[in-house]
Amino acid sequence: MSFAPALRAEWIKIRTLRSLLWGLLAVLAATVAFSALAGLDNSDDPEFDPLFSTFFGVSFGQIAAITFGAQAVSAEYQGGALRVSLSAVPDRGRWFLAKTVAIGGPALIVGLVTGVAGLVVGTSVLGSRANGLTWAEELRGVVGCAIYLALMALFAAGLAAVLRSGVATLSILIPFLLIVSFVVGGASGTVADFLPDKAGQTVLHETSGGALGPWSGLAVTALWTAAALGAGAWCVRRRDA
Amino acid sequence: MTSIDVQDLTKEYGSKRAVDRLTFSVLPGRVTGFLGPNGAGKSTTMRLVLGLDRPTSGTATVGGRAYATLDEPLRKVGALLDAGAAHGSRTARDHLRALAATNRISERRVDDVLEETGLTSVARRRVKTYSLGMRQRLGIAAALLGDPPVVLLDEPSNGLDPEGIIWIRELLRRLAREGRTVLVSSHLMNETASFADQLVVLGRGRLLADMPMREFIHARVQPRVRVRSTDGGALASLFAEHGIEAVEGEDGRWTALDARLEDIGRLTSAAGLPILELAAEEGTLEQAYLDLTATETEFAAVPTQPQEA
Repeated sequence: MSFAPALRAEWIKIRTLRSLLWGLLAVLAATVAFSALAGLDNSDDPEFDPLFSTFFGVSFGQIAAITFGAQAVSAEYQGGALRVSLSAVPDRGRWFLAKTVAIGGPALIVGLVTGVAGLVVGTSVLGSRANGLTWAEELRGVVGCAIYLALMALFAAGLAAVLRSGVATLSILIPFLLIVSFVVGGASGTVADFLPDKAGQTVLHETSGGALGPWSGLAVTALWTAAALGAGAWCVRRRDA
Repeated sequence: MTSIDVQDLTKEYGSKRAVDRLTFSVLPGRVTGFLGPNGAGKSTTMRLVLGLDRPTSGTATVGGRAYATLDEPLRKVGALLDAGAAHGSRTARDHLRALAATNRISERRVDDVLEETGLTSVARRRVKTYSLGMRQRLGIAAALLGDPPVVLLDEPSNGLDPEGIIWIRELLRRLAREGRTVLVSSHLMNETASFADQLVVLGRGRLLADMPMREFIHARVQPRVRVRSTDGGALASLFAEHGIEAVEGEDGRWTALDARLEDIGRLTSAAGLPILELAAEEGTLEQAYLDLTATETEFAAVPTQPQEA
């Protein structure tokens, strides 16, 4: 049995659930809207970072991204859906990989669209204050935004497979992203730099103050995501369905 | 031959043994009723056959192979485990399309099984608008999707209306006639009696019986004969004379216990008694099942032995 049919099935499952499609749309809407709002604030902050102002909304868009990732997995843990899925694709590793690709692919594409839209809206709101941004920085922001959002969706997906619940996953991740990161994350140059969201978001800054650069920061987030997916895959393979 | 073979199968959840050294085979061409009270291990056994739960020991195979090693398994085994398995916000058709895609089953087949289960008119409605009976039909449609030679259904008549119950009975009979292997769990005796050829009975995870249904009933329920005469008193003395145990019912109707129609007919005829009614009373599956579980309860009333670790 090859991989393509399993992937096709998982993709059908995602695009036939309206709540998941709304979740993807919310990634775009929240990111662009909050980036625009951030750009309107033209107080003279000495640490003003035009690139991060442009992608400021990602902090909110990622909430939609993790909701999408968590729900796409947790739908399998309702009413014995997983038993149907695994009796159709008994190779659990293959099944979980198909699920992962079906979540990560759309999240990456939506992330890319979000990045482009965020850049266009963000820089036009900033006007002359965005003049310092180079082409390379803007491209890095767009690509980084896409990868970051996809990684966060997958991070949530892996966690949801461990916890077998979307509610449990989101009630851990959302407070974590909204509170822990905002509070602890204020201090740079600490261990907080290595938190999954803080590390990855360095790619959205023009200058990174902490220990991580833009791509090494994103790599740290990728490691977190890989760990969550690995744990999820292990649970799916080991547990009775 | 596509049979289901369960060999020395054991499943423990913590210290509780849900399935206890179970060995039986389910053969093609007949409907096997899978009986037992709730918690007897029927559903667990089905999950073990489908490779969804890992056995503590023993094996379960379909056509000689472990389910998990089957290529495109929906084409070999169809199963209904939970009626609530389809996501409420998805339409029935989309649920089946996703399932069909996993095993490269055509969309035409999706429409066929929707038609077969009577769901065509509601196929594009979301599953959360369905009644329990409609969800059962959707689960059965999913089981039939790959046109499999082996079908496992866990309590398929749950929530079905009378028309649905007749439909499922005829479906099961037809699947068996087509030479498929059909295992159907239930805790409803009359329902099972209406479609099963063979019985596998579980109690507390152990195998209590595995035999043809007729044989099961005959072995456990004494045959009775119902007889009514114009002269009830003469009938009573005739029974007493021949040492036949009998009880009197309403309208002077007598029931001879542990008796055969031929014997009673011959006796009354020889005695010249005018007979108004003479009929054999078939034992029911329910009686046979209760007889079996009664002996089992006695057995279990003995102080329980320490569980093996």
